[in-house]
Formats: sequence, C-alpha cells, structure tokens
Amino acid sequence: MVFLLVIAVLALLFIFWFFLTYNRLVTMRVRVQNAWSQIDVQLKRRYDLIPNLVETVKGYMQHERQTLENVIKARTQAIDAKGLKDKAQAENFLSQTLRSLFAVVERYPDLKANQNVLKLQEELTSTENKIGFSRQYYNDEVGRFNTLIQMVPVNIVAGTMNFTKKEFFEVSDSAQREAPKVKF
Amino acid sequence: MPFSFIDIEEKKTRLIGFLLFFIISFYFVTAYLILLVLKNSVLASFYEGQRGLGWPTGKETLAAFGIALLIGLIHWSSSTSNLIRRMSLAVGARGVDEKDTYHQMFKNVVDEVSVAIGGRPIRSLVVPTVACNAFALEDFAGRAVIGVTEGLLTRLNRAQLEAVVGHEAGHIVNGDCLSTTVTCSLAELYEEALSKVSKGFRHSRGRGGIVILMLMFVMGTMKLLSALLRYFISRQKEYRADATSVRLTRDPLSLAEALYLISRNWRGMGAEGEYLESIFIMSPRPGYFDERQGAAANWFSTHPPIQERIRILADMGHCDPKTLEENLKKFQWVSPVAKPIVSAEEDKTAEKKWMVFNKEQKWEGPFGLEELRKLTFLTPDSWICPHGEQSVRHAYEHEALMPLFGGEAKAEEGAYPCPHCHTGLMEVNYEGAPAMRCSYCEGIFVAQDAISRILIRRDMTFPEEVVRLAEAATKQKDLFQKGRTRYKLENPFILTCPRCHNKMRRQFFVYSYPVEIDRCVSCNGLWFDKQELEVLQYIYEHKDKFFDGQGF
Repeated sequence: MVFLLVIAVLALLFIFWFFLTYNRLVTMRVRVQNAWSQIDVQLKRRYDLIPNLVETVKGYMQHERQTLENVIKARTQAIDAKGLKDKAQAENFLSQTLRSLFAVVERYPDLKANQNVLKLQEELTSTENKIGFSRQYYNDEVGRFNTLIQMVPVNIVAGTMNFTKKEFFEVSDSAQREAPKVKF
Repeated sequence: MPFSFIDIEEKKTRLIGFLLFFIISFYFVTAYLILLVLKNSVLASFYEGQRGLGWPTGKETLAAFGIALLIGLIHWSSSTSNLIRRMSLAVGARGVDEKDTYHQMFKNVVDEVSVAIGGRPIRSLVVPTVACNAFALEDFAGRAVIGVTEGLLTRLNRAQLEAVVGHEAGHIVNGDCLSTTVTCSLAELYEEALSKVSKGFRHSRGRGGIVILMLMFVMGTMKLLSALLRYFISRQKEYRADATSVRLTRDPLSLAEALYLISRNWRGMGAEGEYLESIFIMSPRPGYFDERQGAAANWFSTHPPIQERIRILADMGHCDPKTLEENLKKFQWVSPVAKPIVSAEEDKTAEKKWMVFNKEQKWEGPFGLEELRKLTFLTPDSWICPHGEQSVRHAYEHEALMPLFGGEAKAEEGAYPCPHCHTGLMEVNYEGAPAMRCSYCEGIFVAQDAISRILIRRDMTFPEEVVRLAEAATKQKDLFQKGRTRYKLENPFILTCPRCHNKMRRQFFVYSYPVEIDRCVSCNGLWFDKQELEVLQYIYEHKDKFFDGQGF
C-alpha cells in the first residue's frame, strides 16, 4: 500500500515536472521565433532604405554605375533568398556591396557634404547595427535553447515532444569574421 | 539575459516590500523621536509635578505608528506615481527633436541597443546642458528611458555613445534601474524641500529663523537617512552594467574611452537634479570617496572608482590604461553633420553656365541663368553642376541660383516669412539643429530650444571676417553697459517674429556676449541677421580668449 502510494506520488511529481519543462521549452521556442522576426523586421527596413540611397547618390556617380548596380542586384538576391543558409549568405553579400558603396562615397567630397546622403548613411549604419544586434540576440537565444534541449533530464521531454535544434544565423563572410574589435 | 522575467518580477516584489518597510519604519522612528522630545519639553510644563513622563505609553506609540503608516503611504504613492515623468523633469530632460541630426543619431543608437536586448522599447531623452552625463530610468510598469546631455552628444563618437547607452541598458536589463529610480524618487522629496527651507532660512531675519533652523535640523536628519538608503544600493551595479554593455556591444575600449572623457569633463555639478546622482553613469558630484576602495567608500559613494572601471574595461580590450590615454589624445571627434564646401570661385557667377540633371536622369545643358529660368522641371531640389566642373549639388545650395526660386518660395503655403524680405524662409540644418534661413538676406531664425544646441556644438570653422567682427564686438565694453543695445534706438521693436507674428525686440544676446539680436517677446525665438549668429558662436566658443578674468 505504502509502496503504491510512493509510486503514485513519484509519478505525479514526474508529470508535474514534465509539464513545467514542456512549458519552459515552449516559452523559449517562442522567444527564438520572436528573435527571428526581429531580424526580419530589420532586414526589410534595409531593403526599403537602399533604393532611396541609390536614388540620392545616382546624380553624383556617373562613373560608378557598376557599384550601384551591384547593390541593387544584391538587394534583389537577398529578397528572393529562401532558407536560413541562403538568406544569411545573400545578406552578407549585400552588406559587403553596401560597404564598398560607402567606400566610394568617401571619395566624393561633394557627397560627403550632402546632408541627405549623410542622413541616409546614418540610417543605413543604424540598420546594419540593428541587424547585427538582432542576429546576436537571435543566436544567443538559439544557443540557450539548443543547450537546454540537449541537457540530460530535459532531453527526455524534448525528445518525446519533438523539440529540435534551431539553426544559427551565421556570418559566413570571412572579412566580417576577421574584424572583431576585441580579442578575448 | 542574466535574469529571467520571473526573477525580475520576484526581485521587484521584494524591492517594493523592502522600500515600503524602510519608509514606514523611518517615519515611525521619526515620529517616535518627535513624541519623545515633545513630551519631555513642551508637554512637561502642562503636567507639572508628574514624574515618569520620560517614555511614551503604548497608546501613544500606537498613534505614532498610525501616523507614520499614513505619512509613509502618502509619501510612497506620491513618489511612485508618474515616476518617469517626474524624474525626467527633475533632471530637466526633454524628448528628442526629430529634425536634429545629433538627436536622430542618439535615437538610432538607443533603438539599436533596444534591439540588442531583445526588442524592449526604450524612449530616448536629451538634457539641454553642456554637462557630460547619461542616465536611465524605469518605472513599475516596465517603461524605460535613457537620457544623455547635449554635452555628451558633442563629445563622444558613435561607438562611444553606443557603449554608454549599452551601460544604461545594462541597468535596465539587470533590474537595478527600477530600484535606483524609486529610491531616488523617494529621496527627492526631501532634497527639494531641504533646498527650499535652507533658502528660506537665508532670507529670514529674527523670529522665524529659529523655527526654520529646527525644521532644517529635522530635514537634515531625514536627508542623511535617505542618503544612506541610496548608498544601500550597491556600487557593484555599475560594474555589472559595464559588463552588460560589453556583452551587448562587444566593445570594451569604447566604453573605457567614454568613461575617461566623461570623467575629464564637467558632469553637471550644481545643475538641476545633481542630487539624483545614483541614476547617472558617473556621479555629478565629485566626492572624497569616489576614487577610494574599502568599506567606508562602499557605503558613502554611489559609484565605484573610475580608475578601476577603466582598468577593468581596458583589460578586457587587451590594452593598458596608459595606452588608452595616449590614444585618446590623438582622438579626433567626427561630426555627424555635413560640412558645406565653399569654393573660392563661387562669386564669379556672372557668365557661369550650368548643367542640369533632368527627369529622364540625363544631364542637360549648359544653360545660362536666363535659360535656366525657362526650364519647367527645375526645382530647388534638382541636381545641378557648374559647367566644366565636377561638383554636383542641389540647386538650392548655389546662392547664385536663388533668384530663380524667389517667386516659388514666396508662394509656398505655410512658409514663415523673413522679417526683412518677406519671402519664405527655408528650413535648414544648422550644426545639426533645425533653423530657418532667408536665402536673400541670409538671416537665420532659431527657435528658443535650438539655440543652446547650436552654441554647444563645434562643427563649424569660422572665416576671418567673423573673427574680426567678434573681436570688434567684444572690445566696445563701455558702450553696451548702458542699455540693451549698443546704440540707443528710438523703438527697439523693429521686426516681426516669423513664427508667431509678435514683435521682436532688438537687444544683446546676453550682456557677456554682446551680439545684437532680435528676440521675439512672445515665443522667445531669435532672429540673427547675416553673420550675427556666427559671431555669437565664435565668441561663445572662444570665451577664454575674450574674457581673461578681468573682462565683464
């Protein structure tokens, strides 16, 4: 009798723990999804800003057609990209072309003296930073989620309830990898 | 994040409990002490002959507790309602001006950091002062605010600003921002009252003095206690916020640089809200314990030693503080505002021909001025290039072309009229701040709140002419001490304010900066004739040169 009671209590405790863990995992999964949508918002913002920038600098840059066309091409590619890996790659390419565009802007003193160009540049820098930060946040969340679902008691819940590892939004651009401000 | 949402909620409840307990017990002790004193001094004369009055009875103690509870609750509710609004008013902070380049940059930086902490919205505020400081506020509903001073915006570059905002966001995500805000708000009541009472004491003579002295004594005790409460919140939170900033921005060196720059500048001592020191990134009041370690320093200073903070951050960036200092000496501040290029040949416009970028995105021309007038697609926004040159600019940036647009500008609905020429003023960006310029007489209208920004910022370099005008203006000292203007005017109300259509009075900006300007009597907007603003800026930015201690 006592033995049965102990079993029943243990089983109840286990079910309780199971529910709790399940809820925790669901919360974290939602947070990962939320973090992803954050990145998406910032990426869209960048798509919207690029045509403005191109329009503004077009007049100045008669000899830089190639750079401008590259930016536009990269933007279209990034919009069309499907899947996390392709998307990450296309976005990195877009970042690269934008950087080369700004390098060109540096060479034109007239452009640098234009308040509109400067404003757009500030907006784009800000959006680039936001993309970086939202990616950082997303990867942090994914890291936490992935660690948790592989830990020993939790992996039972994760395994039975079909929680799978999430993909990181990775920087595959070698130049970006090599330019950290700090060496830890 | 270091704390989950549940942790933060729990912490919040504990904090509220603790603070309420503190406040009520504080009032209880005060009430009890007052009761004790009254009973043994004033009341003793009523109960002459009765001994054993020394300690209050149980009933009296209970009454004291009741009163303490009541006052404590009133104090609590008045201090915690409208928390952010009241506190930002106390430091004199305002919302950002969307048209201002610096403010826009700051707002972007705050938005970036808010993305970095997971998309929690943070409002940005700016304090219009030269001081260098930053603060964060949070209320019970979880609304958060990060504020910086104008002085900080003109001295830090983007990366450093990002690091500072990261530090403030660190306070918010670590959950210590709320406790700081609430304790500061609770203490604020006394700080304010005390400063008022002490002012009253200075002005009063004779009988009132003794009462006020007693009041001051009571208030002083309360102030000491509230100060202790504030110090109860550990110095460690600053280290933690620094660490969070590094985790968010991955840039410890910029934070170290920013801290160094802030510590070398005026941090707002004596300005509005300086007593709220624990909300700032660095205490506005430099004190004895600031640079010290140990128990006493931990108790009596709200912030850890700045040297120590910089050393830790520099270590993280694999750089020692000495090299950091050396690097900072070479540090060139980059302005977020575009600098107009003025070419020397601009004036020879008589026979100049122009190329115009048309609607089909092709260059047309060359055109003379008269031919340009006939072009229907030409607007002030059109791209234009002097024939044979490579400098492409908007048409409105060429002064020679201004006569072409005069008619249009006048017809534009809602444009403010120039007080001299009555044509529409053009919105311009002057040192990042919004202003309105007349394209004919080159006068500038600046709203009241923008003028301090323009004076604080140092984007411009001044031509020789302005320097000479400034020197001439400051030399005639005896002339302007007699009145508001240099020469006596029969009627100083010459111009009409472009914004509110009230009269503007001709007067000196202030006596120490003897530049004559027109100030609107109603909205306090300022009208500067050609070069007046530049001269004023030059004098302001070179104060040391003009006022050598024996000046005005």
